[in-house]
Amino acid sequence: MSNQESGAGGKSGDAFLSLRGLTKRYGDFLAVDHMNLEVPKGELVAFLGPSGCGKTTSLRMIAGLTPQSEGRIIVGGDDLTGVPTYKRDMGLVFQSYALFPHMSVERNIGFGLEMRGIARDEFANRVRDAVALVHLTGMEKRRPAQLSGGQQQRVALARALVIRPAILLLDEPLSNLDAKLRDEMRNEIRDIQKRLGITAVFVTHDQSEALTMCDKVVVMNHGRLEQVGAPTELYEQPRTAFVAGFVGRMSRIRAVARNGSTAFAGQRLPVPAGLDGPIDIMIRPHRIAIGPVVSEETRHQVTGTILRTVFVGDILQYDVDVAGQIVSVELSTRGNESLLKPGAPVSLSWGPRDVYVFGAAP
Amino acid sequence: MTATPADGDDQPRRLPLVVVLLLPIALVNALGFVVPTLNLLRMSFFEAQGTGAMQEVFTLATWQKVFTDSFYAELILNSISTSLLITVLTLLCSYPIALYLHRSSGLWRSVLLVLVIAPLLTSAVVRTYGWIVILFENGLINNALAAVGIGRVRMIFNKTGVTIGLTEILMPYMILALMAGFGKLDARIEEAAASLGASPMRVFRHIVLPLTLPGIALGSLLCFVLAVSSFITPKLLGGGRVFLLATEIYDQAIVTLNWPVASALSILILLIFGTALLLYTRALNAAT
Amino acid sequence: MDERPISLPLKLLALTMFIFLLAPLLVVLPISFSGDNYMIFPPTSWSTRWYGAIFTDAKMASAFSSSLALASVVTLLSLAIGLPAAYALVRLKPPGAAALSSFFTAPLLLPTIVLGLAILIVFSGYGLLGTFQGLIAAHLVVTLPYAIRVLSTALSTLPITFEEAAASLGASPMTVFRRVTLPMMRSGIIGTTALCFLVSFDEVVLSLFLTGPRLTTLPVAMFHRVEQQADPMVASLSVLLVALTLAVVLIVDRTSGLARTFVK
Repeated sequence: MSNQESGAGGKSGDAFLSLRGLTKRYGDFLAVDHMNLEVPKGELVAFLGPSGCGKTTSLRMIAGLTPQSEGRIIVGGDDLTGVPTYKRDMGLVFQSYALFPHMSVERNIGFGLEMRGIARDEFANRVRDAVALVHLTGMEKRRPAQLSGGQQQRVALARALVIRPAILLLDEPLSNLDAKLRDEMRNEIRDIQKRLGITAVFVTHDQSEALTMCDKVVVMNHGRLEQVGAPTELYEQPRTAFVAGFVGRMSRIRAVARNGSTAFAGQRLPVPAGLDGPIDIMIRPHRIAIGPVVSEETRHQVTGTILRTVFVGDILQYDVDVAGQIVSVELSTRGNESLLKPGAPVSLSWGPRDVYVFGAAP
Repeated sequence: MTATPADGDDQPRRLPLVVVLLLPIALVNALGFVVPTLNLLRMSFFEAQGTGAMQEVFTLATWQKVFTDSFYAELILNSISTSLLITVLTLLCSYPIALYLHRSSGLWRSVLLVLVIAPLLTSAVVRTYGWIVILFENGLINNALAAVGIGRVRMIFNKTGVTIGLTEILMPYMILALMAGFGKLDARIEEAAASLGASPMRVFRHIVLPLTLPGIALGSLLCFVLAVSSFITPKLLGGGRVFLLATEIYDQAIVTLNWPVASALSILILLIFGTALLLYTRALNAAT
Repeated sequence: MDERPISLPLKLLALTMFIFLLAPLLVVLPISFSGDNYMIFPPTSWSTRWYGAIFTDAKMASAFSSSLALASVVTLLSLAIGLPAAYALVRLKPPGAAALSSFFTAPLLLPTIVLGLAILIVFSGYGLLGTFQGLIAAHLVVTLPYAIRVLSTALSTLPITFEEAAASLGASPMTVFRRVTLPMMRSGIIGTTALCFLVSFDEVVLSLFLTGPRLTTLPVAMFHRVEQQADPMVASLSVLLVALTLAVVLIVDRTSGLARTFVK
C-alpha cells in the first residue's frame, strides 16, 4: 500500500518543502517508508508519532545529517539530494540544544553568520536583533553553562533563526523543559515562526503539542505516513485506527464484520462497505451518553455493567463492561451527579456519526 | 537528537578519507612493530659465524643451541623461577595496600592512590638507583646494620638484590590489578559473615580471599610477565653477575653481536608470555 | 562504600608495605644533597654540588637537551598522527574499527627488550642507528598507542550533536573540526601531550638499543653512569626528573583534572 498523502491546500507547485518517496533503510529494516509530503511556504508542520516511528530520521534526512536510501528532498525548488549539510540553508534546533560550551551566547548565535562571512556591522546588528527576539538581551557574554534550560533553548532558537534559513527544523526541542516552561516556549516559538513567516518542521511525540502549535500534523507510525491534515481534521476524521487512537482518547471495541454489518452486545451496527472480518469500533469517550437518551436521530444503544468509577476532578470516567469488553465513558463533572456504583447496570448510546470503524489485524 | 543506527551506507564514499587519515599510524605500526617482530622470528633461523658476521641461510642451528646448551637451559629456568618468586613476594606485599586502599575513601584514598601510581611515572633507572643506595655496602640498610653491631650483608649485585628491587618496582602494577579485581568485595558481605560467627581470620580466608581471586590472578599474570622481561633492574642491581633472559638478550645483541641467538631468546620470552596467558585463561574459565 | 573502621593490623601492615613501596624514591632525595665524592648513605656531609655538577658535565647537559628535544618532537608527531587516526576510527567508523584500534595498541603488549632488539636489527639495515630520526621513529611506536587510546576516548565521549549543529550552521567538515571538535577535545589533547612527553622522556630500553657515542638520551646517560660509577649525581638527576614529572602532572590536573582525562 503506498503512502500517497499530500498536504491539503496546495498544488505541487506551491509546496516549499517537498518530500518524494523519502526512504531510509538500515539493512532489512525500513525506518522511513517512501514518504511523500508537500509543505507550503510559511507553514509549521508537526511530525507526530511514537518513538521509532521515523519522525526524527525523516527530519535528519531533510537536514542532510542522515543520507537517504531513496527519494528526493526539494526545498524552494532546489533538489537537495547529495548536498552536504553545511551547504543546505537550514536552521536546526536540537533536543539537547547542542550549544557550543566553549563559546559565549553571542558567539554561539553568531556562528552561522561567521560561516557565511557576514560583514561586521551587519553581523552585530543581526545578532543583537536575534538576542532581542528571544528576550535574552543582557546575557550575550554568558556561557551556556551559566544559563537555565529555558534560556539555553532560546539561544538555540536564536542561533538557528539569525541566519534566516529557508527552513527551520526542530527536533523535540521542548522535551527537556518542565511543563510550565514548555507551554510558554510553545507559544513563543509559534509567534516567532508566524512573524517571520518561516517554513518549519517540528518533531514531537506529544500530540497536544502538535495539535496546539501547528498548521498541519503529519502522523507517522512504523516509518509510514498515516495521515496528514489540520489538527481538527485528524481529530474528527481519522483515516486509520492508529491515528484515531493516537490523537485524543478513544474507546475501542473489537468485533467481526460480515456482509456490511456487525453484531455487538445485541446491537446490529452498520459497517462501511468493503470491510470484512475483524474490525475496530472506536468512539470518543466523551461522546458516549449514559442512560436512555431521547433525541431525534437514531442512536446505537448497548447495555452493560459498571466496572470501575474514576473521579479525575474535571472528568468523571466510567469503565463499563459491555459484552466482555471495556468501554470507557467520560462525563464532565457538574457537581450534582450521583456516582454510579460498580456492578450497576447501565445503558450506553452514541450517535452514528461519532463512531469510527476500521479494519483490524486478525 | 535520539540515537540513530550507524549510517552504514556512507562507507563507500568515505573510504579514501579514512585510508588517508589512518595511513601514518598504520605505517609507523607496520614498519616499527610488525615488520621488526616478524623479522625477529626470521632472524632466529639464521646463525652467527664468529664475531658480528652472519649467514642469511635458513638453519635450525641457533634453536638447537638454545634448547640443548646447558647455559641457556639454566638461564631460562632461572628467569622463570626468579620471576615466580618475585610474583609471589609482590603479591604478599601488595595485597595489604590494595585491601587498605579498597576500604578507605575520600581525599585520603585519592592521595594514597596518587602515591601508588607516582612511581610508575618515574623512570626504572631512577627507582633502581634508589635501591642501589638502599642495598649496597655503604647504603642505608648495611650502614644501619653496622651501626647496631650486626655485620654487613651482601644484598646487591646478586639475585637477592634483584629480587628485592624488582618486587618493589612491580608493586604498583600488582596493586592496581588487585584493586580492579576487588570490585565484588563489599563491606556488607564481610559484616554478614561476621554476624554469622566468623572470626576476622576466617572472614578473610573464606570470604575475602575467594572473592579477590580474580584480582590476584590478573595481578600475578601481569607481574610475572613484567618480571620475566624486565631488563633495567636486573642489569643494574645484578651488576652483570645475574643472568636472566632479558640481560642475556641485551648482551648478545650489543656486546657479542649474536643477533640470531638474541632473537631466539626474544621469541622464547614471547612463548613464555603466551604460555602464562594460556594458563591464566584456563584458570579463569575453570573458575567460572 | 560505608565508612568502616579499618582494623589496626591491616593499617600497620599496609603502612609497612607503603614504606617499602616508596623507599627508593624517599632515599633518592637526601642523597642528592650529599657532599661526598662517593655514594654513602647516610651522607657524611651535605651540599648541592651534585646539582651543579649536572650542568657542568658536558655529556649530561647534552643528553638532557637531546631528551628534551626528542620528547618534544615525539609528542608533536604523536598528536599529528594520532588525532587524524582517532577521528577516523571514532567518527568515520570504518568496518573493523575495533580490530584496527586493538592493532594500533598492540605494540604495548611487547616487552621493550624484545621490541628494542627487533627495531635495532631492522634499523641497522637502514642506517638509522645512533640517529635522531631513528630514535623518533622508535619512540613513536610506543607513544602512539597511548595517544590513540586517550584521544579516542576523548572523542567518543564527545556527543556528535555539537558537530552536527556546526554543520547545520554552514561549517565545512574542516571548520567543524577546527572550531568545535578540537576545542572540545582540549582535556584529551592535554592529557595525550603530557603522557606522550613523559613516556618518551623516560624511555630507556628502546633508547639503549638506538643511541650511539654521539647521540644519547638522559635516561641512557644515567643508566651508563649507574652501571659504571654510581654516584650522587644520578640522585640529583633523579630528583630533577621526578620534579619534572610532578610539574607535568600538576599542569594536567590544573587544566583538565587528572581523573577526568584518564579515567573514563
